[in-house]
Amino acid sequence: MSSIIELKNVCKSFGDIEVLHNIDLSVQEGEVVVVIGPSGSGKSTLIRCINCLELISSGELIVDGIRIPAEKRKIRQIRLEVGMVFQQFNLFPHLTALENVAFGPSKARKMSKSKATDIARDLLEKVGLAAFENKRPDQLSGGQQQRVAIARALAVSPKVLLFDEPTSALDPEMIGEVLDVMQNIAKDSGMTMVVVTHEMGFASQVGDRLIFMDEGLIVEEGKPGEVMKNPGSDRLKEFLGHVKHH
Amino acid sequence: MGFEFSVITESLPALLAGAKLTWIITILGIVGGMACGILAGLGRIAGTEALGEKPHGIYKPLTVLIRYISSGYVETIRGTPIIVQAMFLYFAFPMLVKAVFDIERFRIEALTAAVITIIFNAGAYIAEIVRGAVISVDKGLLEAGMSLGISRFQLIVHVIGPIAFRRMIPPLGNQFIISLKDTSLFIVIGVGELTRQGQEIMASNFRALEIWLTVAVMYLIMTTVLAMTLRHIERKMEIF
Repeated sequence: MSSIIELKNVCKSFGDIEVLHNIDLSVQEGEVVVVIGPSGSGKSTLIRCINCLELISSGELIVDGIRIPAEKRKIRQIRLEVGMVFQQFNLFPHLTALENVAFGPSKARKMSKSKATDIARDLLEKVGLAAFENKRPDQLSGGQQQRVAIARALAVSPKVLLFDEPTSALDPEMIGEVLDVMQNIAKDSGMTMVVVTHEMGFASQVGDRLIFMDEGLIVEEGKPGEVMKNPGSDRLKEFLGHVKHH
Repeated sequence: MGFEFSVITESLPALLAGAKLTWIITILGIVGGMACGILAGLGRIAGTEALGEKPHGIYKPLTVLIRYISSGYVETIRGTPIIVQAMFLYFAFPMLVKAVFDIERFRIEALTAAVITIIFNAGAYIAEIVRGAVISVDKGLLEAGMSLGISRFQLIVHVIGPIAFRRMIPPLGNQFIISLKDTSLFIVIGVGELTRQGQEIMASNFRALEIWLTVAVMYLIMTTVLAMTLRHIERKMEIF
C-alpha cells in the first residue's frame, strides 16, 4: 500500500482568513476516507485543494507523485487522475446525459467519439440510467443528475474520486440511490475515495477511515465505528449529537 | 399631388441597389463585429476567474495589458457617436496618415470606411454582450470542466462558449438591428446606401411620402429578416 494523496503541513488562506491550519494527511490507494465536520470547518476546502481547485497557500501536496507547488504546471495531470463530484451536480446543461459522461474521455483523454460514447454508455448503465442517456440535466431528478455526475467523473478513469457533500442538495428520498452508487464504486472498483458528507450510515458502512475537522484542523481520525462510538473530544460528541438528530 | 404609385415603381431599382449596399455593409459589420466583439469581450475578462483559473507568472501582466487594451477600445467606441467615427475615419484619418508618414495620396474609400466603422462600432457593443454572458455562466460548471482535466481553451470552446452563446442571442439581435439602422448614417460620407438613395431621389422629384414610405418598408423588411433569423437560431438552441 502506498499513499496516493499526501498533504504535508498544508495551510490555506483566503485573504487574511486561514481556513486550513497545518494539515497533515495521507490517503492510501483504495482507501475510502470520510470527512465530517461542522460548516466552515474547512472540509470542502480540504478536498478542493486536493485537485487544485484551490491552490494551497503553504506546505506541500503530493498527488499520484506530482508535487504542488513545485510542479504547478502539472495541475491538469492531477485532475485527470482525481475526479470530483459536486454538491450542486454541475452537469453541463447544453449536453445530454450521455454527452456529459462522454465529455471527459473525448476532450480530456482525447479519445475518438465512438470510444468515448461506448465508455459513457457502460457507465450510465452502471449507475442505472441507461434509459436516460438522451435526457438533458433539466429533465432529470436531482438523484439522477448526481448519478450522471458520478458517471462523468468516472469516465476519465481517475485513480481518486472526491465527493463534496454529494447528497446535501438532494431530496431525502433520493439520497439512498446516490449513496448506493457510491458504495458500489468503492466495493467493485476499489476506488480511492475522499468523501465529505453528513451521512453517518455511509461513513460507518463504507468508510475505512473517518476524519473529523473543526476550525481548519483535523481534530480526530480513526476507524469510523470506533470514532463514532467513542468520540475523544467534546466537539465531536456535540457534532455527532447534531447529526444524529437529522 | 396625391399618392402616386408610379413614383415607387420608378425609383425601385435605385432604392433596391441602396438596400443591397445597406445589406452588404450590415452583414460585413455583423461578421466582423462578432469577431471583434468576441476578442474584446474575452479580452476584458482575460485573467479573471470568469475564464477559468487565474494565470500565474508572466501571463499575469500579459492579461492585465489585454484587459486595458480591450477596455480602452470599448470605452472609446461607446463614448463617441458613430457619425463622428465615420467622419474621422473618412476625412481625418487620411490627413493624420499624411502628416505622420508623409504619404501623399493616402485615402480610404467611403464604402471601406463605412464597413470598418460599423465593424468596430458593433464590436464594442458586442464585446459587452459577450462579457455579460460569459460572466453569467455558473462557476460550478467551470469547476466541473476543470476537474475533468481539460485545457483552458477547451473550457472556453466547449463549456463557456455554448452556454454563454445561448444567452447572447437576444441582446445580439438588438445590436444587429441597431447596426443595420446605423448604416443610414453613412449618408454623411457619401456611401450610396438605402437612405442616401432615398435622399437623392427625393431631392430630384420631391415625392417625400412615397420615397420615405418605401425606404422605411425596406428597412423594416431587412430588420425583420435579421430578427427572424435570430429567433430561428434561438429556437434551435432552446434546450436549456
